[in-house]
Amino acid sequence: MDQDIETLREKYLNQDFDEKTHEVKAEVTAEYARLCGETAARFLDVNDPDFQAPPTFIASLSGRRALPSDFPKFGIGMDAGKGVECFLPIRPGSTIAGRTHLHDIYTKTGRSGRMIFTVSRIEFYDDKGNHLANSDSRIVIREKS
Amino acid sequence: MAIASLSDVEFGEDLPAFTPDTSLETVKTFASLVGWGGARFSDHEAAKKEGLPGAMVPGILSQGYLVSMIHNWAPEAEIRAIDTIFRAPVIADEEHKITGVVTDINEDEHLVEIDITVTNAKGETRVFGTATVKI
Repeated sequence: MDQDIETLREKYLNQDFDEKTHEVKAEVTAEYARLCGETAARFLDVNDPDFQAPPTFIASLSGRRALPSDFPKFGIGMDAGKGVECFLPIRPGSTIAGRTHLHDIYTKTGRSGRMIFTVSRIEFYDDKGNHLANSDSRIVIREKS
Repeated sequence: MAIASLSDVEFGEDLPAFTPDTSLETVKTFASLVGWGGARFSDHEAAKKEGLPGAMVPGILSQGYLVSMIHNWAPEAEIRAIDTIFRAPVIADEEHKITGVVTDINEDEHLVEIDITVTNAKGETRVFGTATVKI
């Protein structure tokens, strides 16, 4: 691994740099599910006893910033992908907290030069401290030559 | 046939293909719902001025389509993880197909791994990834 990337990993990985609370609204999660094409009552019907947000709903929740404020600027970032891990259902009507850290930093080198990938992870918790889910955002930055 | 239990799942089976609603109206409504008000998600001409082929489907909506396909196949499946790579834009008002194939079955933990793909009418892959579901 490149020495500069190794240095960034040592400085930034797994250190929370943002926290934000989110109110999970039933009408929003149900509409989100409908637009995605879900048909199950547990995602669409607010009166269903197991009513919950669709699994990828948390991917729409962002923190106040995607990278630490002092993270070096390599260039313009592009959305390279998203991942979600689900541990417990997200219940509409609740308020959840999202804590963000950098989960990974790595590079790939192609014909056009080095590309830097960052993976920002938001860990979501309910008001009892239960870890509900993780949402990963993968950003690729083509390094300025 | 909807999958009700792990014994119904076969290694290598294709999930029933799912045709998502990629209409511009749906995409605009979704983008507004999640607070992504940019013209690139609501207006083909404005998106073209940004250098895109047309208004884009947000990546997280494509991710939602993929999960809906899995629930269409196995209504009670619990999504444990989904990881998606956005390889190229999914363009609104264009026909796309959502497909999946079972690539692993863990009988001890009742987990199934599925390779998932969004392709356009030309058969070009736009989004791909994997999902792990409990059945």
